[in-house]
Amino acid sequence: MPSPTLAIARHELRTLSRSRGALAAAGTTLLLLLASALASLDLAAQAAESRARQQAEAERQWQAQPDRHPHRVIHFGTFVFQPLGPLAAIDPGITAHTGHSLFLEGHRQNSANFAEARQSSVLLRFGLPTPAFVLQALAPLLLVFLAFGSVAAERERGTLALLRAQGVPGRTLLAGKALAHGGVALALLLPLALAILLAAGGEAGALARGALMLPAYGAWLLAWSLGAILASALLPRARDALLTLLGAWILLVVVAPRLAPLAAEALHPAPSRLAAELAVAADLAKVGDPHDPNDPNFGPFRARVLAQHGVTDVEALPVNWGGLVSMEGERLQGEVFRRHMDAAQARERAQAATLDGAAWLAPALALRRLSMALAGTDLPGHQAFVRAAEEHRYAMVQALNALHVHKIRRQDDRAQRVGREHWLAMPAFHHAPPGPDWPALLPAAGALLLWLLLPLALLPLAGRRLDREARA
Amino acid sequence: MTLAHLTDVHLRLGGRPVLRGLSLEVRRGEVLALLGGNGAGKSTTLQLLLGFLAPDSGSVRVTGLDPRREPAAVRARLAYVPENAALYGQLTARENLSYLLSLAGADPRPGAVEDALRRAGLPAEAWDRRLSTFSKGMAQKVAIALALARDVPLLLLDEPTSGLDPGATAEFNALLGTLRDAGVGILMVTHDLAGAAAVADRVGLLRDGRLAEEFRAGPGPRFDLNRLHAGFSAPARPGEAA
Repeated sequence: MPSPTLAIARHELRTLSRSRGALAAAGTTLLLLLASALASLDLAAQAAESRARQQAEAERQWQAQPDRHPHRVIHFGTFVFQPLGPLAAIDPGITAHTGHSLFLEGHRQNSANFAEARQSSVLLRFGLPTPAFVLQALAPLLLVFLAFGSVAAERERGTLALLRAQGVPGRTLLAGKALAHGGVALALLLPLALAILLAAGGEAGALARGALMLPAYGAWLLAWSLGAILASALLPRARDALLTLLGAWILLVVVAPRLAPLAAEALHPAPSRLAAELAVAADLAKVGDPHDPNDPNFGPFRARVLAQHGVTDVEALPVNWGGLVSMEGERLQGEVFRRHMDAAQARERAQAATLDGAAWLAPALALRRLSMALAGTDLPGHQAFVRAAEEHRYAMVQALNALHVHKIRRQDDRAQRVGREHWLAMPAFHHAPPGPDWPALLPAAGALLLWLLLPLALLPLAGRRLDREARA
Repeated sequence: MTLAHLTDVHLRLGGRPVLRGLSLEVRRGEVLALLGGNGAGKSTTLQLLLGFLAPDSGSVRVTGLDPRREPAAVRARLAYVPENAALYGQLTARENLSYLLSLAGADPRPGAVEDALRRAGLPAEAWDRRLSTFSKGMAQKVAIALALARDVPLLLLDEPTSGLDPGATAEFNALLGTLRDAGVGILMVTHDLAGAAAVADRVGLLRDGRLAEEFRAGPGPRFDLNRLHAGFSAPARPGEAA
C-alpha cells in the first residue's frame, strides 16, 4: 500500500496521462524542446565551421600579403572571431546581439559585428527558438496549464470533500500534487541534459558547466509547478487560478525581463553609438595625426626623442622618425581607446549589476544570468573577448610600427617594403574564454532559490487553509 | 450499540444559528433518515460527524470518539457519500475504489474491490469503464462500493437518491437494506420523503435547528406518509434556522 502522498502523485500523473489536452501540450513542448536542441546544435556546428573558415580565410589573406610597407599592413588589418563554447548552442546569450567578430586595424577600435540576430538566416530570427528560450519562457506555460486545476478542479468537482472524508490532510494532498507536477517539471530537463551531452561532446569543463545548468533550470521549472499548485489551492476556481498564473507569467517572463534593462539603461545611460564614436573621435583629434611626422601635437615627443638620442634634428636619428610618430600616435590612441572601452564596459557592468538586483523580483533574469554564464555567452565573456582583441590589435599594430621604425629608412619612406616573413611570423589571435565568475553568480543563484523556496514554504500554509476550508 | 451520537448540539455559522440543541443517535443495523428543508442543518450534521465542523456546545461522538480530537480514527470508522457522488470521471470504477481506499489507509484483501463493486450491484462489465460514461445511479453504486470495501460500521449519505430515476432509487434502497441487515448504521440526509420512508427505520424531521419530530417504522405500512408530509411541510419559526 503506497503512502497517501505517493498515491495522490500517481493518481495525478494518471489523470494527466488521460487528458488529451495535457498530453498534447506536454508532447508539443517536449517536441519543441528536442527540435530546438537539435536545430541549435546543428546551427552552432554550422556557425563554428563558418567561423573557422572565415578565420582561416582572414589568416590566409593576412599571410598572403606580399612584401610591403608595414603601415600598409596596419591598414590591411585582419578579422578575429570570438571562440564560442559548445554550450552556446544551448543558450547563445548576448552573443546573439553583440556579435562575435572584430576587425582589427591601426588607429581604429571597431565594435563587434555579425550578431546572429542581425546576420543569421531567417530560421534563427523567426524560426525555432533556442532550448534556453523554450525552458525559460514556454515551459512555464506548460506547467501552469498542467497544474492550474490540480486542486481547484477537485474543489469544483466535489472530490476535494471526498478526499477530506477519507482523512487526507490538506498538506498531504498538496505534497502529492507537488510530487507529480514537480516530476513533470524535472522531466523537461531530460531533453536539456541530452542537448548538453551532445553539445559538450567529451569536453569535461563544458560537461561540468552544463551539469550545473540542470539545477538552475530545475529550480525555475519547479518554482512554476509549485506556484501553480499554490494558486490552485488558494483560489476558489480553476479559472481564477489560470488567469492569475497567466498574469504572473506575463509579468515575470515577458514584462519584467524587458522592463529591467530599460531601468538599468535609465540608471546607467549609455551614449548612442554615434555619440560614443564622436566622443572617441574628439579625443583622438587631441592626439594628433600619427601619419604626419610634422604634426605639432608630437612636438614634446620629438623633443624627448631628440634629447634621448643626443641630436637636434630628426634627420640625424638612427631610426625612422615617421615610424616613431606612428608608434607614439598608436600608444596615445590606444590609451584613448582603452579609456573609452573601460568606461563603456564599466557602464555595462553597472547595468548588469542593476539586472542582478532586479533578479530578486524577476527570477527569469536570475535564470538568464546563470544560464548565459554557464554557457559562456554572458557579458563578462564578451567583454573579455573585446579586451583580448584590443590587446591583440595594439600588439600587432605596434609590432608593425616597430618594423616601420627599424626596417624603413626615412628617405623615400613610402616606397620601401619589408619582407612578408615578418607578418607570417606574427602570432595569431588566441583567446581562452574566462570561466564563470562564481562569486558574481551567487546573487542570481540566491534569487532563483528564493523563488523556489517561496512556494515551497507557502504550500503547508495552503494545506492548513484547505483543512479549514473543508470545515467551512 | 450507538455509532453516532449528537447531544444538545448548538452551532452558529456566519453568525446565524443553524443547530439549536440537536440530539440524535444512529445505532448499529439501522437507517436513520434525517429530513428537512434547504438550510435546515442536515449537511451540517454530517460535517459535525466528519469532524469538519466543531459544535459551539454539546457533544458529538462517533463510536464513542470525538471527531475533532481524533479525526483519523473517526474517519477510519465511517464512510461518507457526498451528494452527487463526486468521484473521478476519468478513472474506472475499479480505479476509483483502489485510489480512494489507498487514501483512506485501507488495506483491502485481494478481490475486495471487485467484491464491493459486485455487492453494490454494479455489473462486472462496468468495472473497467470510466465513470464519465456512468449514469448517476451507477456512480452512486461506486460510492456505496467504496463504503462496502472499507467495511466500516457507519455510513453517512448526503442526498443519496437526488437525481436518481425511480428504478435506480429502488435498487439503491435495496442496497441500503442489505447493508443495514449486515449491521451497518446508516445516517442519510435527504429531501426525498418517500425514499426515506421506503428504507429508513426511523425518520427524523429537522426543523428550527433541532429534531422536531421522529417517526419509527411500523409493521405493514412502514410510515404514515400523510403525517410525515405534514411534519415535513410545517413552516420554520421566523428568525430562526431556515
